[in-house]
Amino acid sequence: MNNEIPKEYQRFNLIERIQHVILFTTFLLLAFTGWALKYPEVEHYSKWWIGIWGGPKTAGIIHRIAGITMLLDFIWHVLYLGYSLTTGRMKMRKYTTIIPLPKDVFDLIKNILYFVGLSKEKPQFGRFSYIHKFDYWAVFWGMGILGLSGLFLAFPVYASYLFPVWTVNWIWEVLFVMHSDEALLAIVFILFWHFYNEHLKRDKFPMSMTWITGRISIEQMKHEHPLEYKLEFEDKKEENK
Amino acid sequence: MKSGLVIVFLCFLLLCFSYSANAETFPPLQKQGFLTGFKCLACHSAMKGEIRTEKGNLVDVNVDSERYSQSIHGGFACIACHKKFGMNPHKPTAMGDVPKDITVAASKISHKAKADPVALAACSECHGAIYKSWQNSIHGSNVISKKQTDGASCIDCHGSPHYITSKKTETSTINKKNVVKTCGECHEKEELAKKYNFGTHILERYYESFHGKKYILGHQNAPVCTDCHSYHNVKQWEDPMSPVAWDNRTETCGKCHKGTTKKFVTAITHKPIGKDNPIPYYFGKILTVLLVSVIVFIVGHVIVEVFSEIRDRIFRKKEEHHE
Repeated sequence: MNNEIPKEYQRFNLIERIQHVILFTTFLLLAFTGWALKYPEVEHYSKWWIGIWGGPKTAGIIHRIAGITMLLDFIWHVLYLGYSLTTGRMKMRKYTTIIPLPKDVFDLIKNILYFVGLSKEKPQFGRFSYIHKFDYWAVFWGMGILGLSGLFLAFPVYASYLFPVWTVNWIWEVLFVMHSDEALLAIVFILFWHFYNEHLKRDKFPMSMTWITGRISIEQMKHEHPLEYKLEFEDKKEENK
Repeated sequence: MKSGLVIVFLCFLLLCFSYSANAETFPPLQKQGFLTGFKCLACHSAMKGEIRTEKGNLVDVNVDSERYSQSIHGGFACIACHKKFGMNPHKPTAMGDVPKDITVAASKISHKAKADPVALAACSECHGAIYKSWQNSIHGSNVISKKQTDGASCIDCHGSPHYITSKKTETSTINKKNVVKTCGECHEKEELAKKYNFGTHILERYYESFHGKKYILGHQNAPVCTDCHSYHNVKQWEDPMSPVAWDNRTETCGKCHKGTTKKFVTAITHKPIGKDNPIPYYFGKILTVLLVSVIVFIVGHVIVEVFSEIRDRIFRKKEEHHE
């Protein structure tokens, strides 16, 4: 082993970790307090469940506060990204960017072929695999669809001032469908995609500590993010020489 | 002994005063001897079954004396409302004994009452203003002008007149907990919806809305039917007098939603999300397709990955370690 290579690699900085903690706390609160409203007709169960969250009124207040906090967290994240990119703290590079590239599609196909046994070669990932990218952009999608519709539904009278007259005959149904359907999608997505990939996987169970420490071991980095590893350590070495 | 007597005397005095307070509020009742015994109940609380009236309606002859005495009208003598029946209960006296306004009211609704139109009209004696506003409502005019029997009268919503309790009690048919179901007794009926051309599955639509969802969960502020449509003087929604007519909605919605404008009041229609409103309909369909395809993709991805992990553990252990 080369001495210049540290044992651990700082994957996420403090700000990113705080943003993540706010995101998942508010997400859980929103999912829990909103769930009873999704299927209230299962009356006994939904009443019991909403009771845990302080009854429908309190749960509604928690839901609104959590929703606004999440949107603020999202805005903070976007501003922070813009700031980091313009000041050069963060660089856009092929193997470290979160932006989906054609490579991700090929990686997905390669991975599936490997899973079903049609190929013996696993795809090589950079800092973010297509799994991470999907996870990340799904949140963006959810923020737009759920956050916007939620904001309108929470303050319907003010929202109505913004709507043009020709939309008023259908906009409410659209907002309702948006919020209700996409909330279900978000919950299922987190349950399957995020929980499987970041918690249930054999080498991650019950969870990786990266969300607290922000660090991953170099071994893990070599294994899971080989392209980023190469970029960070092997290429640099050559450049420096 | 003496002090006991004093207490009894004081209680008696108290009773007299409270009695006179009642008598002041409802003077006609006193004249007719209300609170004069419960002789009728001696038989009617024990009798079971139904009898057929001259008009051919089946009428339950039983009155549960205990429930009656606990009801809000439990202190009234039977003949306070069943005014036709005098001292010999089953020989109706001439209509002359019944106050004229009640006779008139009774004649207007005689086709509606199953057994005793006078008793049904007798509500108006104490609840005059309410009775009048009901007469002008869509329910009342359906009974009075259109001579229908399926329009709602007092007891269709308030339940059996012998067991009416305050709307604050949970058993009341118009208690917040029960009132939606009470309206649904008629408004869920397909044949009535067809006959009177009102929307079917109104309750279903309401339960799907945010108002209804909150109501099911027991939200204190969730509005029920009567909060928007009003009750005794309820009108067909397009009637300009109806609180949910377009011109009145800003005021009605504004009771809870401060600052309501005309752009806001279209939010509640009780219409199903169907093809007649294509934008939400197809938008919903697109979202469902998206939902299903994303779920199929992620669940499928996870399943094949789990499969490959197990396979690698069992069959390709060595290769993993060599890497």
